[in-house]
Amino acid sequence: MSDSPFLNAEAGMSMANFLVSSVHDMKNSLAVMANFLESALAQAPDQSAPLYRQTSQALYETQRINDHLIQLLALYKIEQDFYPFDPQEQNLADLATDALSRVANLADSNGIALEYECPDDLHGWVDYELILGVLVQALHNALHYTRDSVHCLIAADPRGGITIRVEDNGPGFPDFLLQQGTSRDRGVSFETGSTGLGLYFAGVVAGLHRNGERGGGTHLENGGRLGGGCFCLELP
Amino acid sequence: MKIHDLPRPDFSKKSFLIIEDYEGMRGILRDILGRAGTTRIDFAGSGGNALAMLEKHRYDAVLCDLHLGQGKNGQQVLEEARLRRLTAPHTVWLMVSAEKTSEMVMGSAETRPDDYLVKPITETLLFTRLQRQMDKKKVLAPIEQAMRDHEYLKAIRLVDQTLAKTTPHTWDLKRLKAELAQLSGDLNQARVVFEEALNQRDLPWARLGMARLLFQEGRLDEALQHLLQVTEGSRSYLDAHDWLARTLESLGDLDGAQEALERALSVSPHVAARQSSLGQVAARRGDLETATLAYRRGIELARNSPLVSVEPYLSLARIFLARGETGEAAKIIGHLAGDMKRDSGARFLARVMEIPIRLNSGGEKAARKLLEELAPSLRDAAHQLPPEVAFDLAGPLMRLGDSETTDALFASLLANHHDNADYANRVLTLYSEAGRGDDGAKLVADTTRSALEIMDKGVRLSREGKLDEALSLLRDARHKMPGNPRLLLNHAYLLISHMEQRGRDLHLVKEALDCIQTARRLRPHEKRAGTLLAKLERVGGVET
Repeated sequence: MSDSPFLNAEAGMSMANFLVSSVHDMKNSLAVMANFLESALAQAPDQSAPLYRQTSQALYETQRINDHLIQLLALYKIEQDFYPFDPQEQNLADLATDALSRVANLADSNGIALEYECPDDLHGWVDYELILGVLVQALHNALHYTRDSVHCLIAADPRGGITIRVEDNGPGFPDFLLQQGTSRDRGVSFETGSTGLGLYFAGVVAGLHRNGERGGGTHLENGGRLGGGCFCLELP
Repeated sequence: MKIHDLPRPDFSKKSFLIIEDYEGMRGILRDILGRAGTTRIDFAGSGGNALAMLEKHRYDAVLCDLHLGQGKNGQQVLEEARLRRLTAPHTVWLMVSAEKTSEMVMGSAETRPDDYLVKPITETLLFTRLQRQMDKKKVLAPIEQAMRDHEYLKAIRLVDQTLAKTTPHTWDLKRLKAELAQLSGDLNQARVVFEEALNQRDLPWARLGMARLLFQEGRLDEALQHLLQVTEGSRSYLDAHDWLARTLESLGDLDGAQEALERALSVSPHVAARQSSLGQVAARRGDLETATLAYRRGIELARNSPLVSVEPYLSLARIFLARGETGEAAKIIGHLAGDMKRDSGARFLARVMEIPIRLNSGGEKAARKLLEELAPSLRDAAHQLPPEVAFDLAGPLMRLGDSETTDALFASLLANHHDNADYANRVLTLYSEAGRGDDGAKLVADTTRSALEIMDKGVRLSREGKLDEALSLLRDARHKMPGNPRLLLNHAYLLISHMEQRGRDLHLVKEALDCIQTARRLRPHEKRAGTLLAKLERVGGVET
């Protein structure tokens, strides 16, 4: 190896490239694994067998890693100033069905009722891929903590813009999470194993969506129609 | 609502082309489409393969992966397919990619896919997007047909009719309308759309559109403000960086222009035209290292593609000649002759460039022999020579004492660019340095005068109602200066007036269309070309 500064600069460049391309590669592998697990679940003769539970758990973990990789990649690009942010007027019922379809197998295998509510002709200015990422992550989270029901509610905000809520009938968010509010600066919680990545990502994505002076935001609450945790995303 | 309750679409009568180099993905897409009843699916594993299949069949939908391993990528396949009209007006083109990239979201109607899908692809995503785009294309197909026929006013009319009904595609249509308005020279109509869009949201495409419009009107400082706003937050809007560079270059800020291009290349280095732009700006700045590297990359990227052009080869050879690196120049010209061997014009230019190369490497005799051989063709084809090649040849030709050919080259150059003060000044300097100052002055004065005279005479004759005389005058003049945009547009104007008075004539429509398109190619930002195109359309149907 040469010690020329030029070559070192190139090596630094390629480290970032390696990271990005490896993450893509991991995403591809995970997609294949998730596919296998989904067909295994679909073909399983006995849904009460322990193997079925474990497979379902493996699917959840696979999808959780996938969510995280997608978020890390997007955040990297946003922070390096090269994410092609592209707000378009999107049909939100399409967005909801797309998001729900990505978690439907997981919901089925856990016996969770998964539903959405969104007017057919409701449109919103969103960057589709980013909002989809936030929504899928929120659904995965809700499916993990709910008792047996998860609802995704999308509605027009009377102040302009839209609100997206993911509600469940689980025990709700713990107090410390509710108290942290919308702060993006919360640290890693070692007690819960939560890195805070999901909420941080949601906050960054919401903030990118602007309408004049107004920016989007997220918050957590307990209650809602199902009485459990509610993740709320407001886009102006 | 539960998603299990949603019906699957019926694609049993639709034909698909899947362009994907990864076999696993081909299988996934085939299985998903199969669940909607599709049986007519063709597969292509590479860009070249895909183009061959597109030549044979007009598909209802194309699913194309952006990354196709070696060879052409999906974006290049899309652009070539559109350029060569290998898709039907109703064909839906969905670009599939592991990540969202800027090429997919910016660009013009010709270079944008109808929609893009970011992996992982699920059944629901594919079905909803395909169905939405098929519905949209049903509405858009007549508009697309009108665009293919260069009937932009008709296309705008159709867009307006569609917008008057409720449509889920409002913003797609409005964005298209703005592009159409610009093509037909109606900048104000485009401005209305961009302003409305910017009132909705800070949409990068609308801001870029506004900037291009201001650039076209010569309002460079205002264009610059919009471009800075788009590019400030993100490096990923590549088109906006190209326009930023163009605007800064026009404002004389070469450092800024180079920086903008380098920023765009840091995100997307694989665009031949952008590398060549960088080469040009860097060469103008005297940064020959950067220029050489950029031209080399540009050449490499365009080789074996329809984007291959003589410009980067000639520019690179020019740099080497100026630095006295004749061997390198000879190598590049050798590549030009090889890479573009099927283009007779390019082959001719490669031979012509041998003259300065031989002369600089001390082979005066060989240079003279080659010049004697090429001089008659050079004089005949003078009007087809890129202006910079005429300047490349000027020194060697004068050194070899061939003033006849030199004069022929510059008479032609000046006739085609009679309104370009920069060329005129360079010719004057060249001639006076060669001790032929008076000849140079006379050449410039004569060509400019004769071009202006012809145009004045044409206008006068048409005012007097002598349209036939005016037409034959301009047709003659066009032989002498076929690359003069002003003359071409005057000629088109005359043809249209002719038809306004005497009725539509298919041959004249074609002739006018040819003039306008040539002028537009020579000067892409000339607003008059669009206005005349619109006028031509009003006088009668345009057929190509």
